[in-house]
Amino acid sequence: MMENLFELEAFYVPLELRDRVKISRTLVYEDESTRILLKIPSIDRTFIQSLIHHLREKRRDYLADLPIETIVEVLDEASRRWLDKNYPLRRLALKTISLITGFSQEVVEASLDAEMESSLREDMWRALSLEIGNPLYLNNFQYSPQLGGYSRAFGPELVVSIFSENIPALPHLLFMRSALVKSACLGKVARGEPTFAPLYLKTIEEIDPEMAECLAVLYWQGGEEEIEPFLFEQADAVVLFGGVETCRSLLEKIPRRVKALVHGHRLGFGVIGQQRMKRQGLERLAEEVALDCSMFDQQACLAPHIYYLEEGGEVSPKEFCLAVAAAMERLNQKMPRGRISPQEASAIHQLRASYEFRELNGEEVLVLASSPKTDWTVAYEKDPGTFSPSPLNRFIRIYGVEDIFQVPPALKQIGPFLQNAAVAIGDKREKEFIRILGELGVARITSPGKMSVPSMMWHHDGISPLASLLRWCDVEKKDENL
Amino acid sequence: MKELPKEALDLDQKIIDFIRRGTDFKDDEGFNRLALEVFTLQFKSIPLYRRYCEKRGIRPEKISSWEEIPALPTDVFKVMELSMFPSKTVRTFMTSGTTKPEERGRVGYDEGGLRLMDATIEEAATSFLFPDGRKTKILILAPSPEMAPHMIMAYGMNRLKDYFGLPQSRFLVGREGFEVEILLKELRSSEDEGVPVTICGGSFGFVNFFDYCREKGLRFKLPPGSRTLDAGGFKGRSREVKREEFIRECEEILGIEKERSVNLLGMTEISSQFYDSTLRNFHLGLALPMAKINPPWTKTVVVDPETLKPLPAGETGLLKHFDLANRGHILAIQTDDLGRMAPEGFEVFGRSKEGEAKGCSLTIDEMTRIEKGI
Repeated sequence: MMENLFELEAFYVPLELRDRVKISRTLVYEDESTRILLKIPSIDRTFIQSLIHHLREKRRDYLADLPIETIVEVLDEASRRWLDKNYPLRRLALKTISLITGFSQEVVEASLDAEMESSLREDMWRALSLEIGNPLYLNNFQYSPQLGGYSRAFGPELVVSIFSENIPALPHLLFMRSALVKSACLGKVARGEPTFAPLYLKTIEEIDPEMAECLAVLYWQGGEEEIEPFLFEQADAVVLFGGVETCRSLLEKIPRRVKALVHGHRLGFGVIGQQRMKRQGLERLAEEVALDCSMFDQQACLAPHIYYLEEGGEVSPKEFCLAVAAAMERLNQKMPRGRISPQEASAIHQLRASYEFRELNGEEVLVLASSPKTDWTVAYEKDPGTFSPSPLNRFIRIYGVEDIFQVPPALKQIGPFLQNAAVAIGDKREKEFIRILGELGVARITSPGKMSVPSMMWHHDGISPLASLLRWCDVEKKDENL
Repeated sequence: MKELPKEALDLDQKIIDFIRRGTDFKDDEGFNRLALEVFTLQFKSIPLYRRYCEKRGIRPEKISSWEEIPALPTDVFKVMELSMFPSKTVRTFMTSGTTKPEERGRVGYDEGGLRLMDATIEEAATSFLFPDGRKTKILILAPSPEMAPHMIMAYGMNRLKDYFGLPQSRFLVGREGFEVEILLKELRSSEDEGVPVTICGGSFGFVNFFDYCREKGLRFKLPPGSRTLDAGGFKGRSREVKREEFIRECEEILGIEKERSVNLLGMTEISSQFYDSTLRNFHLGLALPMAKINPPWTKTVVVDPETLKPLPAGETGLLKHFDLANRGHILAIQTDDLGRMAPEGFEVFGRSKEGEAKGCSLTIDEMTRIEKGI
């Protein structure tokens, strides 16, 4: 007997158009206790054309003139509902995301909380102020003393976005950003996780049905010749999330007049200086490192592939690894690693064995790992001077370095792909070290334990995600009538 | 100079005798006895492997079945020399797939190891590629061993040429690359003279040749008894082609009956080869589902990718091979190939790539391309 049967749609379109969506097929996901029927729409040009027409019209009639204050309140309310553990859509999403992606429910829960906690009223106001100074520029022309005239910021009429990853709750960021700049938004869900975005838009519908009329999300096979170029042709801005290759091939299909923002795959790392390699607080710091490596099962670009530990402190890097391993194990009890593919598991076993043989061979190597499964791995070696990516899924490489300033040269080659660094140096070298990382291309520097929770204010991938969507109109007049 | 210790030579002789009994001689007890002997010698002679086994609580005197012999994951050959007698190595084969030499797996062979491999090549091909005992003109879509001394496929195909080929047999990848004009000439002359051909080589070489023929509108009707042997997959060097399509192309373009297109699974880390049963079954008039066949001097087990423990028959997992002819390095090899056991042997699905990208973190593949400057 199946205890839980859920029927969902892999799309969300405004109410008026809903009965025009034809279902082409139903995907079935199931485990011992749950069965999910996911309805896949059949998409053609005619439908997309009507949808885009509708989104643009509703934006013009409603969202374009909605005060930014109201928009923030609606989005804040949406985040609050999603933070409520009893909110039915959240409870449903926990089941569907976990079953479809393989992430454990605990991981999904932790990532939903992290995303939504940084998507509240104050966060949005701070992000707006940081990026555009005065948020009221979005409402109407504001007097600017620097200009000696009036300025106003306009968002694109229609943002089209392609999501191609399974990171839970990532797509809501793009809908929030579009709404904040008063743009209609049409997204494409990732096949790897197609359920969250439609549910999130349902929440917007509950709170402000008219705003929801300006937002939509669809499902189609990635790379379909017909749909993507057609859609990009009609967008004012396109925001891409995905692999380096995917983004490259999509970019070629975007017409020149359309603004394009790319969030490609990137990677993270951590650096801990000898002043922080202390016995006191060791367990806590090790837990923070373990958390960075375990959130989203290390699949987000925020996650570290490597943690560099400086030698010469009170605690040696190897000793530190023991503490990290213990913390990884505890965390795995509390927030288990998800299901992974045979290829991913095999990659972990193969790399573990390579480390193990180097250890047996008397090299300065240590491998600590869950047994018999691949849940987590801590692999220590002396910094080889090159940056080798991890096979992920909670496999952290730890490199021992004599001096933290030996780290940056190895990062130079991958500068544009550096995302996120946890830095804990604990002495006066920290400032200089951070300066160097910034120059290399790192987009965000934070503390261990915080890698997976950037704030809404973050310059996502090093760009200003709101300001980049805007265009400005300046009026060089001091006329009181304006 | 490269003379092996007597115990290795004696053991090699026993293994060769076992191999020479052919592929139809089932002797599980004999296999077990020899596997344990090989393991005992490897345990004794390869200190790193010994430590690896001891860490797992395994010693020769503690086990009674080949299934308990600890398997070595293939990637270890990228970081360690694991030959039984490194100073006696006469030939080193390397894995392909990456441009960085330090990331290629290396397997050293001593004289005895090469003799064992030669015996497996001859016996397996006799049963699975030339069950009719026919000598053919062997045309090889691969470089010769002189050109590619580290490529195990070049070595193996050279042996096939020596054992089973007519005098005009030859390699068709030269310094200037694939010698397509010569291949066309050889195929036409075979058609004219009625001399059957065996075309063998990398699977991608065939596909590129098929594409070439389609573009130029070329077709062949090779004489009866002609056949193909392909191995190694596509590795991004041609388009990816499903088995059925590959066989259809052999039929349409070369005029080779579908039962005479044979695929082989070979690996640098494994001395023996695993052939499809197609041609042998066709020859014997057996109607059995196609599978890769374990010759009696090998065994294959399917293991759980998470725990590396054996899976029940029929379930898909990672392939683990045991090969007596691996005396010179490690008998038990854990691969990253996905597959499952079949009634007659096993099926291999290859190292199929992930479908949709999962997270948003840069992957090892992406990193490799970035490092190459692409």
